[in-house]
Amino acid sequence: MRWPALARTTHKWLALIIAVQAVFWTLSGLYMSAVHIDIIHGDRLVKAVAPQPLALAGLVEPAHLAHMAPGLKSLRLDTQLGKPVYIVETTAGHDLFDARTGRALSPLGEADIRARAKALYAGEGDIVSLELLTKVPGEIKSRPAPIWRAEFEGAWRPTFYISPQTGELVARRHDLWRTYDFVWMFHIMDYENRTDVNNILLRVATWMALATSLTGAWLLLYSFRRRRRARRSVA
Amino acid sequence: MILFLRWLHKWIGLIVGLQFVLWTFSGAAMALLDHHKVAAEGVIRPPADVPRLEQPVSLARVAQAAGAPILRLELKPLQGRYVYEAATTDGVRLIDAADGRPVVIDADRARSLAVSAYRGAEPVRSVAPVTESTFETRTFARPVWRVEFADKDHTALFVSAGTGQVLGAKNDAWRLWDFVWMIHIMDYTKRESFNHPLIITVATGIVWLALSGLILLFRSFRRSDFSWVLDPIARLRAAAKTGAR
Repeated sequence: MRWPALARTTHKWLALIIAVQAVFWTLSGLYMSAVHIDIIHGDRLVKAVAPQPLALAGLVEPAHLAHMAPGLKSLRLDTQLGKPVYIVETTAGHDLFDARTGRALSPLGEADIRARAKALYAGEGDIVSLELLTKVPGEIKSRPAPIWRAEFEGAWRPTFYISPQTGELVARRHDLWRTYDFVWMFHIMDYENRTDVNNILLRVATWMALATSLTGAWLLLYSFRRRRRARRSVA
Repeated sequence: MILFLRWLHKWIGLIVGLQFVLWTFSGAAMALLDHHKVAAEGVIRPPADVPRLEQPVSLARVAQAAGAPILRLELKPLQGRYVYEAATTDGVRLIDAADGRPVVIDADRARSLAVSAYRGAEPVRSVAPVTESTFETRTFARPVWRVEFADKDHTALFVSAGTGQVLGAKNDAWRLWDFVWMIHIMDYTKRESFNHPLIITVATGIVWLALSGLILLFRSFRRSDFSWVLDPIARLRAAAKTGAR
C-alpha cells in the first residue's frame, strides 16, 4: 500500500470509531469556553453586598456562647438580614444564634428561609417554589441534608439552596449550570457520576482521538497541490 | 455538498488542525494523570482534635487588638490553641483567644503549621514567602508561605500568612498536569481562563472539523470495506437458504 493510501485508510477507520465522540467533545468544549464560568457559577444571581463593619457593643460574648452550645468547635460572627448572628459549629453539627439576644434560631422555618432567599436574590422575580428537602438532589450531591430549595421566577430557572442550620446560601443553580454539568459528562465520558476524569473509556478514547488527529495531519501532506502545477497538467 | 465538506474538512484541518492534535494529546495526558495524585489528596492531614475552649477574651478586647473596624469575625482552633480571626478594613488580624495578644504567622510559625499538617515523614526543604501570583498560588489569597518538603514529589504546602490556614498542596504531578492544562485551555500566560476569544474561535472551527468529518464518513466507506464481515454473513445466509430447501 502506498503511503497516502495507508494514511487515508487508518484515518478513516479510526474516525469511524471516534467521530461521534469527537463531535461531543468539540460541542461540549465550545459550550464550556463560550459561556463564561462566572455566569455558570451564578455569580450574578446573588446580590453583591459590601461587608459592613460589625457593631460589637452589646453582643453576646463568645465565652457565654460556649456554654450554650456544648461541644463548640468554632464560631463565626456574621450579618444576616441586617442583624448580627453567630454561626456555630459543634461536634453535633451547625447552629445559628441571634448575636444580640443569644436566642437559638436554627433550624430555620419557612418564613425565615423565604426572607433570606429574597434578600440574597439579585433578580427581580419572586419565589415560585420553596421546599425543605430531606434528600439532596443530584445537582448538589456533596451537600448535607436537610436543605431548603428556593426556585425563583426568571431566566434559566434560578435555584438557591439554603441551610436550615446556618441560614447561609450553600449552592446556586440555574439551567446554564445544569447544561454545563451535562456537557461536562460528555467531555469526560463519565456517563455515570460525571466526576471521574481518569476512567478507562476516556483513556482509550482520548488516545484513539490523538491517533485520529495525527493521521489527519499526516493526510494533510498529500491533500494540497500547487495550483500552477494543476493547471499545467490540465493544459 | 460532499465536495464542499471535503474542502472544508481539509482547510479547517490545515488552519486549526494543530490545535486539534494538541487538544487530543493534552486530553489524553490528563486522562492518564491520576487526579488523586494531581490534587495531592491525602498529603494534608485533617486537623487534630480540637482543644478545649477556655474562657475566650471579650469582644471589646478583640476590637481593641484588631485596631481597625471588623467586617467578619471568627473564633477557631489553630494548632492546639484558639484564635480570633478578624477580617478588618485593613486586612486580616489573628488574635490569641486566651490572652488577646496578636498572633503573627512568620516563617517559623508557617513552617511548624505546615509540618503539623503534612502527612509525610520527610523534613522541610525550604520556607519562602510568596508575594506575587505564581502558577502554584494563583487560586490562593496572598501573601502566603510556601513550605517545600524533601519528598520525591517535591510537595509544597501553602500556608496563609494572614490566617495561618493551610490552603493547599502542590506536587510534581500537579505541575505536569498544570502544563498540560495550559495547552488544553490555550491560556499560555496565566493558565487560568478557558473563556477567551482565541479558544472560542478555534473551538468553533474545530466543531466544524468534527462535524464535517462525521458526515464525510458516510461517503468514505464502500461495501467492499466491510466485505470481511458482510461476505461471511452473506455466505451463511445463502447456505441457510439452500439448507432450508
